[in-house]
Amino acid sequence: MTVAKPLPHDAARLHVTGAARYVDDIPTPTGTLHLAFGTATIAAGRITDLDLAPVRSAPGVIAVLQARDLPFANDVSPSAHDEPLLSGSTIHYLGQPIFLVVATSHLAARRAAKMAAITYQKRDAILSYEDAMEADSRFEDGPRIWQKGDTDEAIDTAPHQIEGQIAMGGQEHFYLEGQAALALPGEDGDMLVHSSTQHPTEIQHKVAEAIGRPMHAVRVEIRRMGGGFGGKESQGNALAVACAVAARLTGKPCKMRYDRDDDMIITGKRHDFRIDYRAGFDDAGRLAGVEFVQMTRCGWAQDLSIPVADRAMLHADNAYHLEHARIESHRLRTNTQSATAFRGFGGPQGMLGIERVMDHVAHTLGLDPLAVRRANYYAPSVAGGLSAPHAAAPRPPESISGQMKSGEDLTSRGAVDDVPPGRALQAPAGVQTTPYGQPVEDFILHEMTDALAATADYATRRTGIADLNAANPVLKRGIALTPVKFGISFTLTHLNQAGALVHVYQDGSIHMNHGGTEMGQGLFQKVAQVAASRFGVPLDAVKITATDTAKVPNTSATAASSGSDLNGMAVKAACDTIRDRMADLLAEIHQTDAAAIRFEAGEVHAGGKTYTFAQVATLAYENRISLSATGFYKTPKLEWDRIRGQGRPFFYFAYGAACSEVVVDTLTGEYRILRTDILHDAGASLNPALDIGQVEGGFVQGAGWLTTEELVWDEDGALRTHAPSTYKIPACSDRPAVFNVALWDAENREDTIYRSKAVGEPPFMLGISVLMALSDAIAACGTTYPALDAPATPERVLAAIQRVRDAD
Amino acid sequence: MSYLTPTTLDAALGALSGRDTEAPVSVIAGGTDWFPAQGERAYNGTLLDVTRVEGMRGVSAVGTGWRIGGATTWSDILHADLPPAFDGLKLAAREVGSVQIQNAGTVAGNICNASPAADGVPPLLSLDAEVELTSTRGVRRLVLAEFITGVRKTARAADEIVTALYIPALSAGARGGFTKIGGRKYLVISVAMVGAVLTLSGGRIATARITVGSASPVALRMGDLENALVGADLAEALERVTPERLAALSPISDIRGSAEFRGEAVVEAIRRTLTQIMKGQAHG
Amino acid sequence: MSYTISLTVNGDRRDVTFEDARVTLLDLLRERLALPGTKKGCDRGQCGACTVLVDGRRINSCLTLAVTLDGADVTTIEGLARGDVLHPVQASFVEHDGFQCGYCTPGQIMSAVGLIAEGDVGTDPERIREGMSGNLCRCAAYHGITEAVLDAARRMTDDKTRKSA
Repeated sequence: MTVAKPLPHDAARLHVTGAARYVDDIPTPTGTLHLAFGTATIAAGRITDLDLAPVRSAPGVIAVLQARDLPFANDVSPSAHDEPLLSGSTIHYLGQPIFLVVATSHLAARRAAKMAAITYQKRDAILSYEDAMEADSRFEDGPRIWQKGDTDEAIDTAPHQIEGQIAMGGQEHFYLEGQAALALPGEDGDMLVHSSTQHPTEIQHKVAEAIGRPMHAVRVEIRRMGGGFGGKESQGNALAVACAVAARLTGKPCKMRYDRDDDMIITGKRHDFRIDYRAGFDDAGRLAGVEFVQMTRCGWAQDLSIPVADRAMLHADNAYHLEHARIESHRLRTNTQSATAFRGFGGPQGMLGIERVMDHVAHTLGLDPLAVRRANYYAPSVAGGLSAPHAAAPRPPESISGQMKSGEDLTSRGAVDDVPPGRALQAPAGVQTTPYGQPVEDFILHEMTDALAATADYATRRTGIADLNAANPVLKRGIALTPVKFGISFTLTHLNQAGALVHVYQDGSIHMNHGGTEMGQGLFQKVAQVAASRFGVPLDAVKITATDTAKVPNTSATAASSGSDLNGMAVKAACDTIRDRMADLLAEIHQTDAAAIRFEAGEVHAGGKTYTFAQVATLAYENRISLSATGFYKTPKLEWDRIRGQGRPFFYFAYGAACSEVVVDTLTGEYRILRTDILHDAGASLNPALDIGQVEGGFVQGAGWLTTEELVWDEDGALRTHAPSTYKIPACSDRPAVFNVALWDAENREDTIYRSKAVGEPPFMLGISVLMALSDAIAACGTTYPALDAPATPERVLAAIQRVRDAD
Repeated sequence: MSYLTPTTLDAALGALSGRDTEAPVSVIAGGTDWFPAQGERAYNGTLLDVTRVEGMRGVSAVGTGWRIGGATTWSDILHADLPPAFDGLKLAAREVGSVQIQNAGTVAGNICNASPAADGVPPLLSLDAEVELTSTRGVRRLVLAEFITGVRKTARAADEIVTALYIPALSAGARGGFTKIGGRKYLVISVAMVGAVLTLSGGRIATARITVGSASPVALRMGDLENALVGADLAEALERVTPERLAALSPISDIRGSAEFRGEAVVEAIRRTLTQIMKGQAHG
Repeated sequence: MSYTISLTVNGDRRDVTFEDARVTLLDLLRERLALPGTKKGCDRGQCGACTVLVDGRRINSCLTLAVTLDGADVTTIEGLARGDVLHPVQASFVEHDGFQCGYCTPGQIMSAVGLIAEGDVGTDPERIREGMSGNLCRCAAYHGITEAVLDAARRMTDDKTRKSA
């Protein structure tokens, strides 16, 4: 079996020789045109005059398009049709595309795009949380509120109370490969689009709308991305649509690539959040009740902000059983880039709220924060082993409309959910539930925490650090062990489906295709391992092919960590269909039971005879057996009503824990991560090498979000940190000096592909341990709670140190 | 845009001479600052590449002092055999961007760019560096403090090339140090930086030259502090680093840090540099 | 005005004529010489994805004007392997999983080859991390990258010792 093996990425050799092709590397036909956007230089207002004559007469310019020149839909929104490709006259943010230049070269297009003379009538931009709250500038009609129990009563009658606030910044994706698309016009209005996208079906849909053709006329292909992290779930729409529109107009291939500055100024980022909290607790730090008010700046358009903000609410509990909880969420509309998906999708922000509460409670009581965390953990998973797939109970269909609303993007996470309220879920007796009513049946953090605390030597080091801090007035150390519980599934239930297409050729070689996209996470390799295992052939018998909307239709974005779970199962189904046909044939020939036929090590054993897999393929072909099959999978057990905040949005939870130690220079606020130990739950890992890579990378990216990565907008709404010279992602020297990562080796309780677990997003939140360790170090400077905001730049750390010192 | 790559100094100077009223001529060496500053703007001038001019590259002992050729790269500095007074300059060389940048970027380019955050300037000021400017009109020398006149402004005339920097004789036993305070280990955005050269006698400071960068439009020598440090041992020296003695600075608030944060960082950066030199500690 | 230069790229002599002197080495490689292995990450010399060797030293090709390279010897990621035999640094990156999405990988590998040739850092992991800090990896495969460089540095040093013995 090739599953569970630590094999390198499928394209490893191509990557190290420079032969791996990304969209910008695809050779383009002679005559290919290049595009650039002319963008707004104010954050809010109206265009009163637009003189494009200098642009049109610039060298190399073929055409300049404005909103009124677009032939069909002027919309690249994945949700609410509120995101025009080109602004008509209203400006919603600084960087908004206003016109499109089509030119003979990339540089010619970019130079020309800067030459427009634009006159604006400015209005006051809504930039801050306060601005937006005051103007009631928001998405949805009001705050979303989920409530469990009676929080006021629970908090007020508890022995202790705290309240506070934590602010956390957004995050630029900084995928090394910027956004890029290439559109090649075909016959009869057809369009082939190469797009660096996590969501080919959405690109297909938006392009079809923009060129006035059915989806069948548009084919979208993507072999790989140079990083996505959520930034290519919806943010590639504008480029692909622009290319297709220009290609339709000119009849020439059209290509667009954002330069780094444009990429950072135009595209959306992680949502920043500010969370107010109030909690009541007992002497052991057990929460009696907790309230959160989450505010997030969604930017100018809705994009995926609703499900992002939902997921922040869904992770307000993290690993802790909250009997009385109230979560209020404000999705604020601001004149900034439209915040979008980013690894964790709101989960990290929601989780940081409760982790701050745990830290604050522990500080208030003078307890070890880990003791407080453990005291609040959900109860351990109930014995009884793995849960079997339950028989499908009769239930209403998931959608009752069956009608496509005009242009609605059903495959987007931003789609409006019209699922009828699900049945009220009854948690099995004795099983604790989340604030949204999902039973937590697979909680393994007690065991994981014990194991990590032991290998990281947490208790001894904590004592040692206290001694060191007492002896050293300048350098203070801090340590924190924080858990992660992350819900796996798209919260828009109908997206939890996937398709695959598998062909076996007469020589026994296998062509495999599915709806997932490869962005470095190793999905293609994992799924190929599944295919090879099902047929019992070596991995090199399986050809991994580019994601293509003409092979597998109606796919969901490769997002929500779901790639392997969904596509692995779909590929398995397709492979099994073909394998079963082969087995039936051999069973007939050998007059034996099909179930007794074994496919292993490149051979097929049937009735005492051994064939090569290729011989069986040839035999099947000669016997007129189809060697091609589609596969389909939909995640079971999901029921979710997001308005009431009730149901089971997640198939299962993935867990992890990290212990980080930092040292802070209290004179400058500078700090280093000295050591991090991680134990992460990937179920029965499909590929431990790839999974460990995801865990390490996720942790570093999460720590970057909370430490060095700071987005700064000025008072005019201009993003000042729009280049790597000012926006600092972690470099090679920023990872912890000692970094131990291990996987928790246990099967998923739920019936997932080979009992593995999703691993893309959950490790990101292990980075929270760094922020909490910094808080711990700062707390050693005095008696006041540091209340450290993120990103904890040296400046913020120093300010917190001074607050703590000044208060004493 | 046109491009010239002379191999002799005369040819280079000839190209600059009398051209200041026509299309601009930009003197470039590594080009690492010129490119990002240009962006997408069309450039109609002439690029004069001085990296192939004979005698422009390398570090050599000249008389009692040292000459750093105008096309000497930061990597050249790092690998040159120089006395301990240059330790600060070498530490700064390691901070100039990545090694890829250090392999192309030059010392002269760093001072001509005149960024308030230029890594090379504080150690060079503490080495009392002089700038040699050559044109067809002749050769002149300016002390570095007079050469850099403001943010991205220098005393270089349009027809002049920075042909070399000179470091005057250094007293035996002079030792240099450098500290940069910023958000992370390497490729730091500088919040404050300090270059210093000290001579010590019996564990006490005999002479001190302390320069602070990133905390004023132009990096500045801290004369009051330098005088106050004379005669101090390490403990005394650390105490004598007070905000009053740094009053000449005018740190600004920007995306890299607030003025207040910078002011505090400067004090600490100086103390670290003094400790680094007086304890003979490696930069870390 | 047009400019003609002659340079060696991956061992082949190339004569190139430009109409515009402002062509970077990166654009020359990607758009004129059909060598797209060298990547454009930030185009401002700050991410290292475009790292190549010029006369054996690593530089950012996005900050280098092609016209300045008359007579230069340029090595890109496409020129490292000898036929089917990977360069030790390439082999080491495969072995140690020194990447995820792969986009920064050509730059990482060229930077590592330059770093090892500089001979300053030996096999000290801390110095290797410093020396590789000019190459950003957003997937943060830094553990694998450091291990790969370390291992390659060891192997190449051993090879040298063996040859000279």
